Amino acid sequence: MTHTEKQRKAPDKTVPKKRSRDSVCQATGAHMGTVDFGFLVSVMLLLVLGLIMVFSASYPSAYYQFGNGFYFIQKQFLWAVIGVGAMIVTAKFDYHKYKKYAVPILVVCVLLLLAVLVAGISNKGAKRWLGFGSISFQPSELAKIGLIIYFAYSMSTIKGKIKEFRYLVRYWAVLGFFVVLLLLEPHFSVCIIIGLTSVVMMLVAGARVRYFAIAALPVIPVGVWMAIFEPYRLQRLITFTDPFKDRLGDGWQIIQSLYAIGSGGLFGVGFGNSRQKFMYVSEPQNDFIFSIICEEMGLIGAVAILALFGYMIYRGIRIAMDAPDSFGSLLVIGVVALVGIQTVLNIAVVTSSIPTTGIPLPFFSAGGSSLVFLMAAMGIVMNVSKHKKQASI
Amino acid sequence: MTMEKPKRKLQIRMLVMFVVFAFCLGALGVRLVFLQVIDGPKLQREAIEQQTRDNIVTSKRGTIFDRNRKVLAQSSSVETVTANPNEIRKAKKDAAKIAAELSVVLEMDAAEIQKLLDKQTNHVTIKRKIDVEVATRVRELDLVGVYLQEDSKRYYPYGNFASHVIGFTGTDNTGLGGIEMVYDEALRGVPGRVIALKNALDTDMPFQEETHIDPQNGTNVVLTIDEVIQHFAEKHLETVFREEKVQQGAAAIVMDVETGEILAMTVKPDFDLNHPFELVDEEEKARIDAITNEEERNKERSNALQKMWRNKAVVDSYEPGSCFKIFTASMALEEGIVSVTTPFFCPGYKEVAGRKIACANRNGHGAQSFKDGVKNSCNPVFIEVGQMVGPDLFKKYYRAFGFTETTGFDLPGEANGVFYGDSNFGLMELSTSAFGQGPKVTPLQMIAAVGAVANGGELLKPYLVKELVDDDGNVLKSYEPTVVRQVISSETSELMCSLLENVVTNGSGQNAYIKGFRLAGKTGTSEKIPRGNGKYVSSFIGFAPADDPKVVCLVMLDEASNGEYYGGRIAAPVVGKIMDDVLNYMKIEPQYTEEEKENLDVYVPDVRGKSTQAAIKDVRAQNLTYTIVGGGETVKDQMPKAGSNMTANSTVILYTEDNTDNKVTVPNVLNLSLNEVQASLSANKLNLNVSSAGATGSTSQRTIAIRQDPAPGTVLEAGSIVRVEFRFLDVD
Repeated sequence: MTHTEKQRKAPDKTVPKKRSRDSVCQATGAHMGTVDFGFLVSVMLLLVLGLIMVFSASYPSAYYQFGNGFYFIQKQFLWAVIGVGAMIVTAKFDYHKYKKYAVPILVVCVLLLLAVLVAGISNKGAKRWLGFGSISFQPSELAKIGLIIYFAYSMSTIKGKIKEFRYLVRYWAVLGFFVVLLLLEPHFSVCIIIGLTSVVMMLVAGARVRYFAIAALPVIPVGVWMAIFEPYRLQRLITFTDPFKDRLGDGWQIIQSLYAIGSGGLFGVGFGNSRQKFMYVSEPQNDFIFSIICEEMGLIGAVAILALFGYMIYRGIRIAMDAPDSFGSLLVIGVVALVGIQTVLNIAVVTSSIPTTGIPLPFFSAGGSSLVFLMAAMGIVMNVSKHKKQASI
Repeated sequence: MTMEKPKRKLQIRMLVMFVVFAFCLGALGVRLVFLQVIDGPKLQREAIEQQTRDNIVTSKRGTIFDRNRKVLAQSSSVETVTANPNEIRKAKKDAAKIAAELSVVLEMDAAEIQKLLDKQTNHVTIKRKIDVEVATRVRELDLVGVYLQEDSKRYYPYGNFASHVIGFTGTDNTGLGGIEMVYDEALRGVPGRVIALKNALDTDMPFQEETHIDPQNGTNVVLTIDEVIQHFAEKHLETVFREEKVQQGAAAIVMDVETGEILAMTVKPDFDLNHPFELVDEEEKARIDAITNEEERNKERSNALQKMWRNKAVVDSYEPGSCFKIFTASMALEEGIVSVTTPFFCPGYKEVAGRKIACANRNGHGAQSFKDGVKNSCNPVFIEVGQMVGPDLFKKYYRAFGFTETTGFDLPGEANGVFYGDSNFGLMELSTSAFGQGPKVTPLQMIAAVGAVANGGELLKPYLVKELVDDDGNVLKSYEPTVVRQVISSETSELMCSLLENVVTNGSGQNAYIKGFRLAGKTGTSEKIPRGNGKYVSSFIGFAPADDPKVVCLVMLDEASNGEYYGGRIAAPVVGKIMDDVLNYMKIEPQYTEEEKENLDVYVPDVRGKSTQAAIKDVRAQNLTYTIVGGGETVKDQMPKAGSNMTANSTVILYTEDNTDNKVTVPNVLNLSLNEVQASLSANKLNLNVSSAGATGSTSQRTIAIRQDPAPGTVLEAGSIVRVEFRFLDVD
């Protein structure tokens, strides 16, 4: 750790009590700015839209499954409240402090990932959840953020040395270790997300593209091996090429998604009027919620949401560019990349642009604990935004 | 500043990252344009297809009426019970319990229902066409996943009446035969639809409206068939079919000579239209049920049903035999080749191309005019006439009478006749065709052609549907008589009528004779191919009144096996009886000959309580004679009773004292001639009533009693009436 950073931290600890004005915006430091407004608005807008859509999309399946159309939205609303709370906390929490905890957090993540392999809750042949009864969470959710914090910390510490292969390869090793742990669950989709997020962070931090190109070569046979080792992945690839081949079997999920999207047309069938959510689209409140959005809101609504995500990413990257130090920059880049990658992959799956894999749509897909981690990550970005460089002024 | 340089590079890389994300999101946006705008309509259509349940609401099938709007076939509302086994499973209901409850109400085997409910499907049919009351009880059970659908059931009030004409419908209410099939499109109407949204579990969606499109009822079909006439034909044909043990089926057609309307058409054996899939022939049924191989059994069953449903009058052709002489005579007269008086000589055979062709009368008819040749149905005469006509004219008329083409009738599967080609129509073929051996025609073609001979020479298209009407009775379409062509002149037609009347009055057709009506007709007997097996088709075709023909009737019996096979003996009386009933029903004024008037049936007057003198006067006034039993002044009793129908000049017994122990036994009069019967009955103090239809005119020994009622040995009061039917034996 550098001295400059320590000097900066000192006022953080003392000043807030004196200068704090309101909860989120004005938290720290004499020369602290407020939370980036555009980012905050886009996050809250996405959260609210997400809740509304979860309500609409989940109503029929909740009605048929539990006899209560509000079953999912009630839970999701509760998680959203907790998520906003978590966001406020992380937005107030000075991001520099993560440096100190970066390694311990990573260790905790590894331990939890190991624990889940031993004591995880089995579901459909995979152990992804840790917990007791109704209180459970996926350690992989924490691992995503833990890894981002660690990489941001480490990469900012070594400065530009990531350009050198010997440094870069260490990150690959750390990433590889996590990927192996996640593959043991197995949780392939999180591997993709964590892998891509990490690669984005490495590249932005200054790693040379050519090393990745060379590294990609052995990845191809590994991918082939995985496809053969787990036949369902191969099946998904086959289904992707022509979902209509097996309408009622493997193609069902994706066909139903396409039917929903197509039914929306330009203006949609109107909020709440989706027909495809009536058990056609499987778990319409989860991974395939975007197809219901397309059906109800039409192309206009769907593109508006794409634009909103784009704007959020844009604000996030602005925050990263304006961050006072490379740790803050990389932290924000990691979080933004995480959200952006999940968004792009989810919508790509739903529109049958890539083979099916289980990636939720940030802010929209119902799924308790992940929303809390997401909102907490948003809080971190907000905290960084408050430390905006004043140089230009 | 050490930080500045890497920071700038960092910022550039961040911008690149943003561009990449922006590109990805933009690409997804473009993908959405493709899916929602370009492929949208197609995807939406497919989605709607899976989301909507399109329930067909059956339209009420039109009614089939006879010409007087009596109902022959009608549909009534019933319901069909269906179930969604997947829904029952998803709802975690006990299928066994549902099956048990349904089995009670539907009177079905519970295990059978359970088997249906255990299927991995969204739709099974449990029971079709249940009555509305049963449906209500099913509804009251309020079972999950069990549904009732409106349906309709066809009901035929007269059962096996005109079964081959009306036809029947299958389980899906589609016409499978007869008018039901040919007019299916009109009768069926336009089914309505209930379009409901459904979810992927195939159950209805909440909060969604249904769209109803009302069904349009089918059009009603009014037939040319007259229910009463059809009944006459059914009754008389059924009797002869049973008595003469007809093996290959029998057919009768009654047609309006002036319009071509079919007034009755019946085929035996018939079947119950309400149960068209049950074999009527018990023997056949037992034989098929005994077949162990299922495939073979089903095949046999299907064949037997097809045979039973076959409308012999339309789809089968036969050799008309002597009936065909009508046409040979017509063409010869029309072409002026012969006249009524042209002399012929019959030695009992005719030699053609070195072969002797025998006449039915082996001894020969001797010298006779053409008129007598027709009366006697003399083969040598017709061979000569045929040869005089020549092959070209013969073929021309054969075609003109419509035997080389189907009539375009309203029933399915109409057959065409079979005739010689140009190359094999030699002298021999011409000669035998002239008396009806060789060509094959359908009964329908036959009756249409005879209609032309009778009505002044116009060949009319026979038809069965008079009009199509809506539910309020408004005529939507009416079918008019169609003249196909003028075949012979009205003069020839008139001549033919008198020649054929002579056949019935004095010749081979006497068994078709009806008192009071001038019936013209011709007998026909043809030996089936291969010849020599003793299998015959017996037929008679007749029309009346001969001076102004109104109706023509054909009866055809395929392989009568009870000893008699001459058309003149077994088919002619059936035509006589049908015509007798029909003409009376049509209120055609009887015209009695002088001889008939003498023997006219009279009603016995009521003379009880009257003085003997007054009674005698009354009885005499009725053209009856009397016998007085006892010495009293007043008539205490009489026999036969007042109102009885008896032949003129019969004897009424008047009792002036108590009528005690004056019983007589009915003698056996069968096979006796008319005179002998009269003598036998008189001797036994019984009165005779000769059947109104059948041979009576001749008192020759060749006319014998074939049926009597009451049977021999019955004890009756003296003076009672015995009804006797006669048969003239000199026929072919």
